[in-house]
Amino acid sequence: MAEDNAPQHHGSPSGSPHHGGASGPPGSAGPRAQGGRPGGPAKRGKRNFVRKKKVCRFCVDKVDLIDYKKAEVLSPFLQERGKILPRRMTGTCARHQRWLTVAIKRAQNIALLPFAAEL
Amino acid sequence: MEERQYDLIFICRPDTPEADIDKVISTLEHTVTEKGAKIEKTEKWGRKRMAYRVHRLREGFYVYMVLRSSHGEVVKELERRLKVSDVVIKYLTVRLDEELKRQDKLKRHRERRAARRPRKTNPATQVVSPPGGEQATAL
Repeated sequence: MAEDNAPQHHGSPSGSPHHGGASGPPGSAGPRAQGGRPGGPAKRGKRNFVRKKKVCRFCVDKVDLIDYKKAEVLSPFLQERGKILPRRMTGTCARHQRWLTVAIKRAQNIALLPFAAEL
Repeated sequence: MEERQYDLIFICRPDTPEADIDKVISTLEHTVTEKGAKIEKTEKWGRKRMAYRVHRLREGFYVYMVLRSSHGEVVKELERRLKVSDVVIKYLTVRLDEELKRQDKLKRHRERRAARRPRKTNPATQVVSPPGGEQATAL
């Protein structure tokens, strides 16, 4: 379920980038302190918010086949309403996302995963 | 023709007695052998909650089978039988051999790369190592 929250968290960054940019005065201490962390000194006037690089979970685990029967592996890639999360949210690579969608759709067909959340 | 592998999952009504489910399984086994295919394994997953309601039921008894066949006709016959059966509420057949083949290929590819990597990263040792056992074990 921790995975479930993570994408949700990433979902908000569509609004979140303002966090770095919208803090109007570029000289404010906050962004600079953040920018200093990755290595180089913070550049003035430049937006610098740290975004964690997302990596494909399946590539990390070296998955060669995504099993549609393991619903617990697939469910973190669904939204609460049952939609498949896009790659930009989860960081899955193109190849694994392609396999993932097929696996999810199979699992839906045999009622291991929902098509849409019941209300 | 090369052999194909299929996954067959079907869901029975949760209130069916175990004997009836066994009967369904045995008829399926019978048709499979009749058609010249074979069953690799049969697993009863038991009563599980379904992700959505099917025929107003929230639970179902899952049965999972793996088949091997050289032609797809078996699947047609099996699906017909499952459709006719009253206790079965849902079924799914998936052809898997192509994906398994792909998995195998990727795995071999990865292993070969892993075996090659030590040579590639430090060529200095490569000059020294050929008599050593490192390469022999890799191959």
